[in-house]
Amino acid sequence: MATYPQNFRFGEFVGSLIWLILWILIIVTLVGLPLIFIVLFYIPLPPIGNQVLTPYLFLTMMVDPSRTIPIIHQLMTTDLFRVAMFPGFTYAALIAAVTIFVERKFLAKMQLRIGPLYAGKIEGIFQLIADGLKLIAKEIIVPSGADKPMFWAAPIMFVSTAAAVVALIPAAPGYVVADTDVGLLAVFAILGFFPLIALLFAWASNSKYPFIGGLRALHQMIAFEIPFILSALSVVILSGTLNLTGIVDSQIQSYWFIFFLPISAFVFYISSLAELERIPFDLPEAESEIVAGWLTETSGMIYGLLQLGSYVKTYALAALFVVLFLGGWAGPMVFPPQIQTPIINIAPLYDQQAANATLWFTLKTFGVIMLMLLPRGISPRIRIDILLHTGWYKLIVLAFINIFVALALIYGGILGPGGLLVR
Amino acid sequence: MSTNKDEPEKPAASSPPIPSAAKPPAPAAKPPAPAAAKPASGAQPPKKEPEAPPFEKGLVEEIKKKFGESIKVVFIKPLRIKIQVEPNSIVEVATFLRDSMGFDHAESVGGTDYPKDGQIEVIYHLGSYTREDLGAHILSLTARTSRDDARLPTLINVYKSVEYHERETFEMLGVYFEGHPRNDRFLLPEDWADIPPLRKDFRIKGR
Amino acid sequence: MTSLEDKFEESKKLGLQIVRETEDDRLMTLSVGPQHPGSGHFRFTIKVDGDYIVYCDPDPGYVHRGEEKMCEYRNVIQNIPHLERPVIHDSNNITYSYSLAIEELVGIEVPRRGQYIRALASELNRQVYTLYWLAIYGIFLGHSTMFMWPTGDRELFIDLLEALTGARVTHAFNIPGGVRNDIPDGFKDRCVRQVRYFQKRLKEYEDIFYNMPLFRQRTEGVAVLSKEDAVKLGVAGSVVRASGIPYDIRKAEPYDIYNEIDFKVQYMKTGDCFARSYVPFLDMKESCYIIEQLLDKMPQSGEVRAKLQPNPKGPPGEAYRRVESGRGALGYYVVSDGTPKPYRVKISVGSFRNMLALPYLLVGQKLADMPAVYWSLNYWPVEADR
Repeated sequence: MATYPQNFRFGEFVGSLIWLILWILIIVTLVGLPLIFIVLFYIPLPPIGNQVLTPYLFLTMMVDPSRTIPIIHQLMTTDLFRVAMFPGFTYAALIAAVTIFVERKFLAKMQLRIGPLYAGKIEGIFQLIADGLKLIAKEIIVPSGADKPMFWAAPIMFVSTAAAVVALIPAAPGYVVADTDVGLLAVFAILGFFPLIALLFAWASNSKYPFIGGLRALHQMIAFEIPFILSALSVVILSGTLNLTGIVDSQIQSYWFIFFLPISAFVFYISSLAELERIPFDLPEAESEIVAGWLTETSGMIYGLLQLGSYVKTYALAALFVVLFLGGWAGPMVFPPQIQTPIINIAPLYDQQAANATLWFTLKTFGVIMLMLLPRGISPRIRIDILLHTGWYKLIVLAFINIFVALALIYGGILGPGGLLVR
Repeated sequence: MSTNKDEPEKPAASSPPIPSAAKPPAPAAKPPAPAAAKPASGAQPPKKEPEAPPFEKGLVEEIKKKFGESIKVVFIKPLRIKIQVEPNSIVEVATFLRDSMGFDHAESVGGTDYPKDGQIEVIYHLGSYTREDLGAHILSLTARTSRDDARLPTLINVYKSVEYHERETFEMLGVYFEGHPRNDRFLLPEDWADIPPLRKDFRIKGR
Repeated sequence: MTSLEDKFEESKKLGLQIVRETEDDRLMTLSVGPQHPGSGHFRFTIKVDGDYIVYCDPDPGYVHRGEEKMCEYRNVIQNIPHLERPVIHDSNNITYSYSLAIEELVGIEVPRRGQYIRALASELNRQVYTLYWLAIYGIFLGHSTMFMWPTGDRELFIDLLEALTGARVTHAFNIPGGVRNDIPDGFKDRCVRQVRYFQKRLKEYEDIFYNMPLFRQRTEGVAVLSKEDAVKLGVAGSVVRASGIPYDIRKAEPYDIYNEIDFKVQYMKTGDCFARSYVPFLDMKESCYIIEQLLDKMPQSGEVRAKLQPNPKGPPGEAYRRVESGRGALGYYVVSDGTPKPYRVKISVGSFRNMLALPYLLVGQKLADMPAVYWSLNYWPVEADR
C-alpha cells in the first residue's frame, strides 16, 4: 500500500530529484571518467587493423561510429560473442521473448480474445517487459522450512542448464558454441538434468504440491526420455554422426530427414512437448489438481527465471528439431553477395552465408515453436496414467519402426555414404 | 419424548391445521397444472373442505393402514402430503416409505422452531426417482421434539441422502440425531460459540 | 461397482485404507481449497495413497451467509434481492421457486404472459449458468480454449438478460406475482438471433471439447455413479440424469407453463464423468428449443404481474415448491404464520445434495481426476452454503 509522508510537498520532491542528479553528475565526472581513462591507459588493447586501439582512437569512435566496425568484426570471431550473443544466450532469450508474445497473441486469436493490448501501444508488444518489471519488483518469498541454498540455486541452475543446451546447437555454419563430436549425446545428457532440478526444487520448497509436481516431472521425464533418444537415434543412423553440424551437413547433401523419418519426427515432437511440460503434458504444473505443481512456492524473479528457462528450453528443443529433421540452416539463398548501407558501411561485417543460414534457421525454428504452441489451444491436459502408457507403450514402438526404416535406407544403399539420394 | 394428543393443535398459529384432509381449496387437479392448483380466494382453512386429491389420499390410506393412528396426517394437497409421526417410530415409518411406497430419497431436511410450543419440528421432504407416478410428489415426514432436549433418531440408515442435511440441521437448530456418525460443525465457522442460529431466540444483531 | 459398499470393498482390495486417522506415512493429506485453484469457495480434505485418493471430507461453509435466517426478518418481497445472491449466475431460477412458493401461500395467480416471461428468463439464465459451469470445467481439465469460448458466449446471453431485466447478473426479476417488467421492443428478434448463433457454437464446442480424444480418455469410465447409488445418495439435476434417471422437474412437476412446452428430458445411462459433463451440454441444446417455443407461444400482450397488496400475506400454512435450476431441483420450503414475514424458509439446493456424492466418487480415483470429478457434480459452493 502506498503511503505518503505526512508533509509531502511536490516542490521539495522535485528539488531532491535535482540534487540527486547533480550528485550523480559530480561523481561520474570526478570518479568515473578518470577511472575509464586509467583503464584505457594501463590496459594493453588489441590492434585493430593496423592501428593500436588507443584511448584517443576509442574516443574518436564515439564521434564516428563507423570506426567501431573493425572492433565489432574482431569481437564476432571471439568465443565470447558466440556464448553471449548469436547462437548463444541473447539470441535464445530473444527468441524466447518473441515466443511468449506470439504465444499470447496466437492463443488469444484462437480463443476469440484480443490478448495483450495496452502495454506498448502496438498490440501490447511491451507486455513482456511490463511483466518482467513486475516480477523483478515483487518480493521473493522463501517458505519457512525450505532448504534455502537449494531453493535459491535451482532457478539459476534451471536457466543455465537450458542455456547449456543452446550452446550445443549450431545456428549457422561455424556459429556454434561447442562443436563437439558427441553433440547429440551431450544434448540428451544435459536435458536429463531438468527433472532433477525440478525434483530438487520441489523438495527444497518444503510443500506438498510442489513435491507431487516434482515427482510427476520425474515420471514424465523417464517415460519420454527413451522414445526421445530413440527417435533421434534413427537420425544418427542416417547421418552417421553425432555431431550436430555434421547432421545438418549430411541433410544438405541429401534431403531433409523428415521426408525419410516422419514417424521419428512425430515421436520427437510429442516427446519434446512432454519434455517442455507444455499443455497436453503439463502435469507437473497442472493447476487445478496440484495448484501450480513444482512452481507453487515460487514468487517474483524466481518464477521469472524458471519461466525464462522453460522458454529458452522451448527454443532449444525446437532448434534441435530443426537440426535433426528440417535440415538446419539449409535453404535457398535470398541475400545478395554484397550489401551497401548508407551512412555507416557495415559491409565488412556482412557474411552472405551466415546471414542466409540465420534467416532460414530462425524461420524454421519459429515454425516449429508455433507447432509446439498449437496444442495449448486445442487440447485438455492428459492424465498421468495415459501419459505413461503413451510414453512406454506407443512412442517407443513408433520410434523403433523408424529405426528399422533408417536401417533399411542405409543397407538398401539409398542413403549413407555413396547412396542413391546423396548429392 | 412425549407429545400429548392435542399437541398438533397448538402450532395452529404457525402451521396449518391438522384435520386429516384440511387443505387449501384448490381444484385438486392432477399433476400437470400446479399453477392452477393454488389456494385461490382467501383460503380460510376450516371453512371449506375440498375433496382431497384421490391419488394422494390413496397414498395416505396406505400408510395409515400400516401404522394406524400413530400417524397424523397434517394435510393432503395436490402433490404434497405432510404426515407427522412420533420420534420413536420415525425410522420404522421411513423404512416403510422407502421400501413399500417408493419414496427413495430425501430432497431436503429442515427444521422449524416453535418456541411457543417449546418444540422443534424436523421435516424430511421425501421424493421418488424410481416411481414415475410419484415424480412430482413430495411427502413431508415430520417429527417433533422438545426444544430443551432436542433429540431424534437419525434416518441415515434409511436414507443415505440425509447425511449432510441432518448435520446441517444439527448445527442450525441443535437437534441431535442419535446414531448419526457426525453430529458436527458443518457450515458455521469453526469458532461458532452461540446457540444454533435458526432457533427463534437467536436474533440477528440490529434487527 | 454396483453399490457404495462394493465400492469401498473394491478400494480396500486395492490396498487402500479408507479413513485412517493414524499417522500413516503412506498417506499424504492434501487440503483442496479454499485457496486451491481447483475448488472455489469450498474445501475438501483428501488423503492420497500414491496417486489414489483414499479419503475425502468436504468442508463447506466458507460462504455461508445465513440466507434462511435473513428471510425471517424481511417481508416476502424484500427477500428477493438477497435470495438470489447464492447463485448470481442463475438468479432467475433461485427466485423462481421462491416466488412459486409465496404465490401458493398468498394465493396469487400469475398472468399468463408473466408466466411465459418468467420461463423465458429462467431458461436464458440457465444457459448463462451452464456456460459458466462449462467454462470452469474446461479450465479444470486444462483446456483453456474451452474456458474462453463459453465465457465469451455467455456474455451474449447476459446482454439479452440485461435488456430484459436491467441488470447483468443479479436480476431480481422474478417476484411473487409475476415479473418486474415486460420484455423490451425487438427482444424477440434479438433472442432468436442469439439462439441461432448459439446453436452453431454448440456444435463447435462439441468438436473441440467433447469429441476430443484426450477429454474422452480422461472422463469416460471415471467415477461411475450407478443408478442405484444416485437414487440412494439423492443427487439432483444433471448428476442424476447422467446416471440414467430421466428426472427433470420441468417434466416431472411442470410449473407455470412448462406443460405447454414440448421438450425431451436429456439423460445418459453411463453415469461417468463424461455423462455428467455432457448432460448439461445436452440441456443447453434442449434449452435453445425451449426458448424458441416460449417466444412463439407467448401471448402478444397482457399483464406481466399480478397486483399485490403492499405487504402480501396469506393464511398460515406452508408450501414446498421446486423448479429445475442449472444444478437440479431447487426447492423452497416456506412456512408462513400469517404475517408478512415468512416464519421459516428452507432452501433445498441441488449443490448441497450433490456434495454428498463427492466423497463416494472421489475415493478410489486418481488425484488427477479430482477436478474432473468434483466439477462434474455441477456443484456451486456458494449455493450449497447459502
